[in-house]
Amino acid sequence: MKQVIKGNFAVAQGVRLCRVGVISAYPITPQTTIVEELSEICARGEMDAKFIKVESEHSAMAAMVGSSTAGVRSFTATSSQGLLLMHEVLHWAAGARLPIVLSNVNRAVGPGWNIWADQTDSVSQRDTGWVQIYCESNQEVLDSVIMSYKLAEKILLPVMLTYDAFFLSHTSEIVDIPDIEEVDAFLPPYQPEFRLDLDNPRMFGGLISPEYYYEQRYIMHKDALEALEYYPMVCEEFHEKFGREYDVVEEYRTDDAELIIVTAGTITSVTRIVVDRLREQGKNVGMMKLRMFRPVPVERWLDVLGGIPKVVVMDRNITAGLGGVFASEIQAVLYNSETRPVIYPVVVGLGGRDVTPDDVEGIINYALENDKPKDVPLFWGLKQ
Amino acid sequence: MKGIVLMTMKKRSESAKAYEFKTWRDFTPMNISVGTMLHNMTGSWRFIKPIYEDKVPACQNACPAGNDIEGWIKLLQKGEYDKAYWHLKREQPFPAILGRICFKFCETVCNRKQLDSFVGINELERFVGDRVDLSTPHPDLPDYNGKSLAVVGSGPAGMSTAYYGRLLGLRVTMFEALPEMGGILRVGIPAYRLPREILAAEFDGLKNMGIELMPNIAVGKDITLNGLRSDYNYIFLGTGVHESAKLNLEGEDESDRIMSGLGMLKKVALGEEVNLGKRVTIIGGGNTAIDAARTAVRLGSKVTVIYRRSETEMPAHPGEVEEAREEGVEFRFLAAPENIKINKDGSIERLVCCEMELGPPDESGRRRPVKKEGALFEVETDSILIAIGEIPAFDFLKDVVKTENNLVVVNEGMQVETIDDGRAKIFGGGDIIDLPHTVVHAVAAGKKAAIAMDCDRKGADFSEVFQKIATGDGRALSFSKYMGWMPVNPVRQNNTKVVDSEKIVYDYFMKAPQVEKQVLDAGVRKGSFDTYCKTFDEDQAQREAARCMHCGRCTECDNCLIFCPDVSVLVRGEGQFGYAIDYDYCKGCGICFTECPRNAITMIDEEIPIQVDD
Repeated sequence: MKQVIKGNFAVAQGVRLCRVGVISAYPITPQTTIVEELSEICARGEMDAKFIKVESEHSAMAAMVGSSTAGVRSFTATSSQGLLLMHEVLHWAAGARLPIVLSNVNRAVGPGWNIWADQTDSVSQRDTGWVQIYCESNQEVLDSVIMSYKLAEKILLPVMLTYDAFFLSHTSEIVDIPDIEEVDAFLPPYQPEFRLDLDNPRMFGGLISPEYYYEQRYIMHKDALEALEYYPMVCEEFHEKFGREYDVVEEYRTDDAELIIVTAGTITSVTRIVVDRLREQGKNVGMMKLRMFRPVPVERWLDVLGGIPKVVVMDRNITAGLGGVFASEIQAVLYNSETRPVIYPVVVGLGGRDVTPDDVEGIINYALENDKPKDVPLFWGLKQ
Repeated sequence: MKGIVLMTMKKRSESAKAYEFKTWRDFTPMNISVGTMLHNMTGSWRFIKPIYEDKVPACQNACPAGNDIEGWIKLLQKGEYDKAYWHLKREQPFPAILGRICFKFCETVCNRKQLDSFVGINELERFVGDRVDLSTPHPDLPDYNGKSLAVVGSGPAGMSTAYYGRLLGLRVTMFEALPEMGGILRVGIPAYRLPREILAAEFDGLKNMGIELMPNIAVGKDITLNGLRSDYNYIFLGTGVHESAKLNLEGEDESDRIMSGLGMLKKVALGEEVNLGKRVTIIGGGNTAIDAARTAVRLGSKVTVIYRRSETEMPAHPGEVEEAREEGVEFRFLAAPENIKINKDGSIERLVCCEMELGPPDESGRRRPVKKEGALFEVETDSILIAIGEIPAFDFLKDVVKTENNLVVVNEGMQVETIDDGRAKIFGGGDIIDLPHTVVHAVAAGKKAAIAMDCDRKGADFSEVFQKIATGDGRALSFSKYMGWMPVNPVRQNNTKVVDSEKIVYDYFMKAPQVEKQVLDAGVRKGSFDTYCKTFDEDQAQREAARCMHCGRCTECDNCLIFCPDVSVLVRGEGQFGYAIDYDYCKGCGICFTECPRNAITMIDEEIPIQVDD
């Protein structure tokens, strides 16, 4: 059934369709309406979930660790400072191999206090062991919730799906909401091999000596990489059942491209228009949309970007003293490639600054016109 | 299944060999013990331990009679109204009476006050009393034990002694000097506060228990106290106070328009004619003054109360004062009568009063009123009612009983010191002994006296017994403990620990407004001696009862079960009350104790046998 709904409501619908058993969250703009909607769905009896009110995001994630260890499908949502407050428990959730799904509405980190779109909050959680998926549309948000549980429960790692504040969270789009029976057929109930069991109590996450910790982390890394094998299969099955296609990356008009611009989040939709416009002008440009950022789809990035002369990476995030995180990681992946492209890192749209088609066209033209990047990174639209 | 082994130190070395991980492939995804951890008895870490222990709620502790308020409210909440009634009567036999006129010590200490407002305990008590036929005798009366009791005076102290005396097997006779039974309840408290039919029904109940009622027999006049001592094993004196203190002003005795407040109330209660005139002045600030004022209003007079201190020092119940004011009673504080001028025809010419001011505190802790020199004013009035305190009339017992400062002297066991010993033992209670003049204190005294008589009969030391059956940390005694009756929660509660507000975890309680009682408009109620306040209906009672926080008493709320991080709180089997602690694994962390909303868990020291190896 198609409905015109906001991104936050699309997440809530996804959570309902997945028959999540425990929801716990602490409100923060622009995430708040997700859990408001979920609490109402629970209150209306449309969902048989335990909704746990907590006093902070740290507690929300701690509740997730508890419920997921008990073998119950668990969901939480947050933004910005809230995600940062969860940080300690995010590591724990991944290390404990708990298939929690978290939706993070990308919001700038303060100060200055800013509630608008910025991906610095989620990229700064890249080392926690969580899978990260970046979404472009409300439909993708809903679909990603469903696919995230399928992935998480297979590889036993938590998944963070992210999307831009307000551009998606508070903007209405047409979303096709599947029937719950269809989702049931795609996503069977979670049946963990290990769980808290009162009749057979075990110790979880206890002391582990240097002799063994190393191997344990290796297993976690290996299982994270497994997502790169398994997620395309999840996407394929989803495509068969629901008719919508996803992958770890999305390529757009990359055939014979001399320049590929890399995007994540809602800038993608803008860039798609610009690519079309430039193609009409006879410029051979294409786009790669990042979807999965952890684990890093090294082979796919190499495959898409490896032979391309120029690659522009737009980062709506910043690590001060280096630049954009996506650009830095793409550079690292491509470094050993024999035909490695020239990389043009661009930091754009921080704190919800609008990135218009003209901005994107300007950025691409800058890269086309210069053999080497003049500024690393380029701050596009900086008030001079 | 494979995994990291974590075990007790002793087992660790053996087990590590059994589970040697050669490659990373031998590992589980997360570190988890290979087998059950049941062998790890974490109870050995404990040095303090939680126990489930029901305690004494602040309300019950504050009640002179030790009324188990929480207990009967719990039954009321379940809709078991009959059970609630009989449970209430265990400690306080007259809910329909005290549910109307009690001084409500319980409500003033209700722990809910720190959340929003106290639970309307008194209204609930009235509800419980009003739902049953009061004349129903106690369903479980024992056979007579061969001893007899004469109760002299049928006020609340005597009623209580008779009730408990009968429950303890005494053959009881009640003597009342007036033609109507009830003492102060009948002739002191006006009918609009305590309807006559309620009192009559309570006496029917006593009669139906086999208690003999003898009105119109005045001890000291119709029969003698020493005569009673020959005929009965025990005597209880509950004759109360009926004489009013005097102003000691000239002219006080020269007019029949000057009378005692209590005397006027008694006349009205017995249907005698009272002619007060248009303007009535009441002297005094206690409950008798207020009762007299409101009665005079109902007789059509315009009433002014003159009190020598300020309103805050008034001993009358503030609620009563407020209602009197609503009915048009005027108050003149910080004033005292100075002299009275009487006309030849006996009418009052004028009442002269002096303004007062408050000096340093006196022995009662209240500030002493001091005359403002020369600040005199006149009050025009047709009659004056004096209600500055009551004193007993002890003429009938002077030869038998010792008195001191106009009080009968009793020991802790309520036994009266007699001038000549021998013959029947005499006990006393109510307003004739050194007790606050409230009905509930009288009821408590009656209960205590009955228990003391039973101790005497059995040859037991009453002070030892009293210690064992104390309700809380006050002077109230538990008749239930004396009889060995089980509390509403089927757990023995042998302690006297009081749960005050500091022990309540208010986070677990939602604010809810007090259910308002329906009171007739002042204009309507002052035209009649009918009751002016409606008993709660079932819905109102349930809503008000739901506000009870059940301080110190387990309600099986599951908080301990939910919060215990070691899954060491166990639910007892089907049909069994409450929870058990699994001490094999309880680490004594105290979270259950901290999160119990109502302090029904106590942490106690663990008794650990300490072995010292040389």
